[in-house]
Amino acid sequence: MNRIREITKFVIEEFLPDVAAGELGADYDLLAGGVIDSLGLLKVIAWLEERFELAIDDVELAPDSFRTVAAINDFVERAQQPAEVG
Amino acid sequence: MSAQSLIECFTANARRVPDAPALVWKDTSVSYSQLHARAIQVSARIASMDIGHAPIGVLAAKSPDSVALVLGCLMAGCSFVLPSATLARTTREKLFAQVGCVAVLSEQDVDLGATGQAAAQPALTPDSARVTFMLTTSGSTGTPKVVPLTEGAIDRFTDWAGEQFGLRQHSRVLNYSPLNFDLCLLDVWATLKHGGCVILVDPDRATDSGHLHELLGSNEVELIQGVPMLFQLLADAAATTGGVSYRSVRDVIVTGDTISAGCLATLPALFPNARLYDIYGCTETNDSLMHEIDPTTLPTGKIPLGLPLPGVRTLLVDEDGGVVDGAGTGELYVWTPFQAAGYLDPGLDEGRFAEHPHRADGSRYFRSGDLVHRDVDGTLTLVGRNDFQVKVRGVRTNIAEVELAMSEHDDVAEVVVVAMPDPLAGHLLHAEVRKAPGAELNSLVLRRFCAERLPRTSIPSTMRISDDPLARTSTGKPDRQLLIRTITERRRG
Repeated sequence: MNRIREITKFVIEEFLPDVAAGELGADYDLLAGGVIDSLGLLKVIAWLEERFELAIDDVELAPDSFRTVAAINDFVERAQQPAEVG
Repeated sequence: MSAQSLIECFTANARRVPDAPALVWKDTSVSYSQLHARAIQVSARIASMDIGHAPIGVLAAKSPDSVALVLGCLMAGCSFVLPSATLARTTREKLFAQVGCVAVLSEQDVDLGATGQAAAQPALTPDSARVTFMLTTSGSTGTPKVVPLTEGAIDRFTDWAGEQFGLRQHSRVLNYSPLNFDLCLLDVWATLKHGGCVILVDPDRATDSGHLHELLGSNEVELIQGVPMLFQLLADAAATTGGVSYRSVRDVIVTGDTISAGCLATLPALFPNARLYDIYGCTETNDSLMHEIDPTTLPTGKIPLGLPLPGVRTLLVDEDGGVVDGAGTGELYVWTPFQAAGYLDPGLDEGRFAEHPHRADGSRYFRSGDLVHRDVDGTLTLVGRNDFQVKVRGVRTNIAEVELAMSEHDDVAEVVVVAMPDPLAGHLLHAEVRKAPGAELNSLVLRRFCAERLPRTSIPSTMRISDDPLARTSTGKPDRQLLIRTITERRRG
C-alpha cells in the first residue's frame, strides 16, 4: 500500500472512525483541526516505530513533523534514510 | 405582609368559583368544587387515622386524584413526603422508613364518588413554621435526600409566582414535570392557589412531541414551564409540521438545565406573544435567580442566570473561602425566602448548607455547587458545576463548557460530554452527539470547530455522532452515569 494511504488509514481508524478516507486530505492540518493532540501524537509515534521499524529519537519530535499526513510521510522518509556518517 | 395560605386560597376558590376548571387531564376537566370535594375526603381520612403530626408518604403518579391527595394533606395540616413515582420499590420503602412515615396514601385512597360539599371542611390552623411538602432531590444513586418545606416557604413562593406571572382565575398553565418535582410548586400549586387551570401533561406521553403539540394547541395555554427538553421536542415538532406557533402563550419559563443556543433561537417563532424567562433554582432553595430573555436580541453565548428574585440573597465564595465582592467568580451560595432550612436528616447538611463565611447574618445559605461569574452590573452567569471540573492531563477542564461550545455548532442537536477515567491522562473526554436531522456532520468537522473554540485538552478524545437521542434521567437531564457505563461496555466488548 502506498505509504500516504496507509498513514491516512491509521489516522482515520484511530482518531476519526466515522470519516471516509477520501475526506482527509494529505495536507489537512491535524493539529489545528483538533484531530491529534499531544497524547494522540504519542500514539502516532508508537505506530510509526512499529510499522516502519523506526528508532525515533526524542529530539526529532517536533509537532510540526506530524501536522499533516504528508508531513508524517516526509518524516518517515527522512527517518528511513541511513544516518549520515559524521 | 404575611403570605396567603395556599390551602385557604384554594378552598376560597372552590367556594367562589366552584364550576371553574381546576385541572385538565386526558381531555377531561375537573372543576374546583370537584377537586375540593375529593381533597376533603382525603383530609377526613387522614383525620380518622389519628396520627397527630407524624409524616405520611404519598404515592403521587400524576392524576387529578393525586392532586387531591396533596391538597387533602395540606387541609389536614400534615407533613407528607412525595417521592418520584418511578423510584424503585425498595428505595421508596427505605425512604418512607427513613422519614418515619406512619401511613402511605395513593390515588386509590381517594373516593371517586365524592360530590361537592365545600362546607364540610375541617378546621385548619395555619402555621407558617409547620413542614408540609417534603420533596426529594433527584439523586441518581442511593436514597434521595429529603427536603422539608414549611407552609410559610410554600406560601411565600406561591405568592411570588402569582404576582410575577399574573396568575388569576382563568389562567391556563401547562404542567410538564412529574408531580413530585419542585417545578410543580409553580405550575400546579401556585396556579390552584390563584384560581387558574392546570393542564397536566401525562408523564407517559411527555416525550411524544405530537401529543405535546396537540395539547398546547387545543388548550389555549398561557404559561408554560419546562426543562429544555420540552422546548426541544416542541421545536422538533414545529420543524416537521412547518412554522407552527402557539399564540396564546404569554410566559415561557425555561428551567432545570442550560438551554442550547439553537433551541433558544426557536422560541420567539414558537411563542410569538410570549415573554421568555430563564429561571435558576433547585429543590433545596426553589426558584432563586431569573433572567428575562429579549426575543429580539437573543444571546449568542451563554444565557445569564440573571438576578436574584425579590428577597433572595446570593454570595460568591472563592476557592479560599473568601467572599467575592463585585465582579468575579466563585461558588454560588443562595438564601431564598422559599427554601428549606436544611435536609430532613441534619447529618446531610455538612458542606451543603452553610453560614455566611465571615459574619453570621442569620441566614443559612445553600451551597449550590455551581461555579458562577458575577458581572460588573451584578448579572450572574453559570461557569459550570464545581463537580463538572475534571483534570485532563493535569489541566482543569470544565465539562459544561465543552458541551456548551460543541452545542453551538449548527448541526449539533444535542451533546453530552463525560469524563472517562484514563490511567494515563487522569480523565479523557468522550462526547456523545445527536446531530440535527438531515445534517452531515462528522468528527473531522466537529473537531475543527472545537479546536477553534476550546483549549486543546478540552477537545474530546473520542466522539460518537449519530441520530440516536441521548439517554436521559427521569428529570430530563442527560444520564451521564448510564453513558459512562455504556461506553465502558462498548470498549470492553
